[in-house]
Amino acid sequence: MRFLAAIATATMTLAATQAWSQDYPAKPIRILVPFAPGGFVDTAARIVGQKLGERWGQQVIVENRPGGNGFIAVLAAAKAPADGYTLLMAHTGEFVVNPAVFPNAPYDFERDFRPITLINDAPIAWVVNNNAPYKTMQDLLAAAKATPNKIGASSPGNGSINHLVMEWMGLTHGSKFLHVPYKGGAPAMAATAGGEVPAGIAALSSAMPHMQSGRVRALALTTAERTPAFKDIPTLKELGVKEVEASIWVGLFAPKNVPQPIADKIYGEVAKILELPDVKARFAAGGGVTGGMKPAEFTAKIKRESTSAKKVVVEAKIKAE
Amino acid sequence: MEILSNLAIGFGVAVTLKNLAYCFLGVFLGTLIGVLPGIGPVATVAMLLPLTFALDPATAMIMLAGIYYGAQYGGSTTAILVNIPGESSAVVTTLDGYQMARQGRAGPALGIAAIGSFVAGTIATLVVALFSPPLAEIALKFQPADYFSLMVFGLIGAVVLARGSLRKAIAMVVIGLLLGLVGTDVNSGVMRFTFGIPALTEGISFVALAMGMFGIAEVVYNLEQRGASRQVFGSRLGSVLPSRADLAQSAPAIARGTLLGSVLGILPGGGALLSSFAAYTIEKKVARPPRNFGDGDIRGVAAPESANNAGAQTSFIPMLTLGVPSNPTMALMIGALMIQGIQPGPQVMSQRPELFWGVVASMWIGNLFLLALNLPMVGLWVRLLAVPYRMLFPAILVFCCIGVFTINNNVFDLFQLVVFAGIGYVLLKLGCEPAPLVLGLVLGPMMEEYLRRALLISLGDPTVLVTSPISAVFLLAAVLLLASIAIPTIRAKREEAMKE
Repeated sequence: MRFLAAIATATMTLAATQAWSQDYPAKPIRILVPFAPGGFVDTAARIVGQKLGERWGQQVIVENRPGGNGFIAVLAAAKAPADGYTLLMAHTGEFVVNPAVFPNAPYDFERDFRPITLINDAPIAWVVNNNAPYKTMQDLLAAAKATPNKIGASSPGNGSINHLVMEWMGLTHGSKFLHVPYKGGAPAMAATAGGEVPAGIAALSSAMPHMQSGRVRALALTTAERTPAFKDIPTLKELGVKEVEASIWVGLFAPKNVPQPIADKIYGEVAKILELPDVKARFAAGGGVTGGMKPAEFTAKIKRESTSAKKVVVEAKIKAE
Repeated sequence: MEILSNLAIGFGVAVTLKNLAYCFLGVFLGTLIGVLPGIGPVATVAMLLPLTFALDPATAMIMLAGIYYGAQYGGSTTAILVNIPGESSAVVTTLDGYQMARQGRAGPALGIAAIGSFVAGTIATLVVALFSPPLAEIALKFQPADYFSLMVFGLIGAVVLARGSLRKAIAMVVIGLLLGLVGTDVNSGVMRFTFGIPALTEGISFVALAMGMFGIAEVVYNLEQRGASRQVFGSRLGSVLPSRADLAQSAPAIARGTLLGSVLGILPGGGALLSSFAAYTIEKKVARPPRNFGDGDIRGVAAPESANNAGAQTSFIPMLTLGVPSNPTMALMIGALMIQGIQPGPQVMSQRPELFWGVVASMWIGNLFLLALNLPMVGLWVRLLAVPYRMLFPAILVFCCIGVFTINNNVFDLFQLVVFAGIGYVLLKLGCEPAPLVLGLVLGPMMEEYLRRALLISLGDPTVLVTSPISAVFLLAAVLLLASIAIPTIRAKREEAMKE
């Protein structure tokens, strides 16, 4: 009897969730973004949000909750009802860097979130001012080894993924730079372009305008492979810095307990959107590669990167608190 | 003449029916939110930015730019008539503008604000058109040490701003500097005085502080005053056209304000706000005869109003040519371009001439619209403010809350608004001017950032501050300014002048 009841309950639950996912989305969906409108993450949310809205015939609202190292938006998403109507667009910073840099971060990736998919994966580039004497990445690395902590390199901030990569190279390769943090990628790149600091490490998209105007040269990428839009820039791996691998990605997340059918439905639709030529073109313009990775694969990627980041933070004694 | 063909491209873009309409919409909205205390361009641009996703990039920029410089016109109206800055860069306009209104000269004050803004806007747009690339090069030449010294100069200037006691002014600057310490330290990533509150990691909200201290505190203070001072001076507006003597007196002030605003607008941290403060300070020092400042001197309106509009226009130079924002509104503009898939930077001018020159041409058209909106139609805006105080005050409170909330969609910013309203009220009661405090809050964190970066890059060698020629000049100017305040005889004279 109890057995039958259990079956009945299970069937009913199944039926209920199926009905649920068939109805979904029955009301507007909001995507929380931890940045002000216009940034890398916000733009990704708007591109995907607009397409989702058109295809589902439901409004998709992008809600910007900037500040607090992303804590504000991420916490709000973690605490939101897990019904698929609140999603989070986040990047490397929130799920790879923050847990490493802030041991007391008020959220936990595995406890609070279910990754839907990778949206866009963009390379990080080492660049130098055009008048700097370093012609190749090897020149720059050799100089940083010969005169440790003397060659200035700009980054978008203390405890950014860029900063981590810089320290990582010091740890594994012995090339130590003088880290000069700025308030964001644009001022950091302007400083390298203006010659305030000879080198810099930045998202390829922030470096691109200055590369095109001839003020800076990109010497190497930190990704595993070369990027299609800039086939002539070598990767650190090719140059013998094998351990260092990093990128700046944007991904879509849902609160942990979102029903499986709904998570599947969102993944299915977003994956199709990421295949659209106009969407691919938008992301490629920033030097990025469009995602679409399966949730399990994406989770593994985040965990792998988190482990590396934690190791770098501990060994290089990076502190943000 | 390359410039002519470029401007031809620009006007070709700007003078289409659609872009003219969006330009007008932008400057109209800008004037409106400028007049309304509490809602400034940052909040408005933040609110409208998502809507521009569907527009053409040039059209989006034309409208958003219009909001920004339009607000510089509108902000003065409220400052002059109600003694509440409609927009943060109109803070110094309250000093002399409101006094003029009390003397029944609200019309000329409003008139000179609009004329000064128009002249400055036109000249600054020309500067943008002619000199954007070389000026961007100059901005790139500014090293951290130079920025630091510029800000030291600005901070000492802040003391001169104060009307009352010198000691109080210094105290206000120092409190502003201390408040500026709250937030994440750029160099080490350490969080200072945030008490575990995520919203404080980016520091105290400047908009919440300015609105609390200038907007709400002023409302509360006004409620206590029974009778005479509780009125909008719109009924006695008279002619908005300044007299010949007014114009003669204001012309050099407008010229100086325009020049200063154009220069400061290009530098990060500059733009409209710093320009207006600096212009007032300098005007007070160089204008002859210097007697009436703080007491309804028309030059005290002309100079900062010209400067803030010039600064608003030229702050587009670093944004469009380098992709570096010089203030929060410009940061949002960069966002607007990025939403469109355009990475702002030096390549914008060559790859998207229609965008760059279209925006430049639209600024000129926008300034014409604004002159029309603000001179013949100023009565309309005045009527907006002339509603009885029992309706105006609650409306101001509501607008302040909306304006502060929409910037970050964060309730904590409203708590900051309330706290600073309380502090602002106490300061008003104590006779302390909040203007130097605001400047301390804005400049303090930047000063620290630049000083530490200068020392970091020089590997700890402090002589960079004097070996860099730009830095040395600013430091010398700061010392001279300090001496002119500190030398007791001059101070005695200064206090005498204040008492008049």
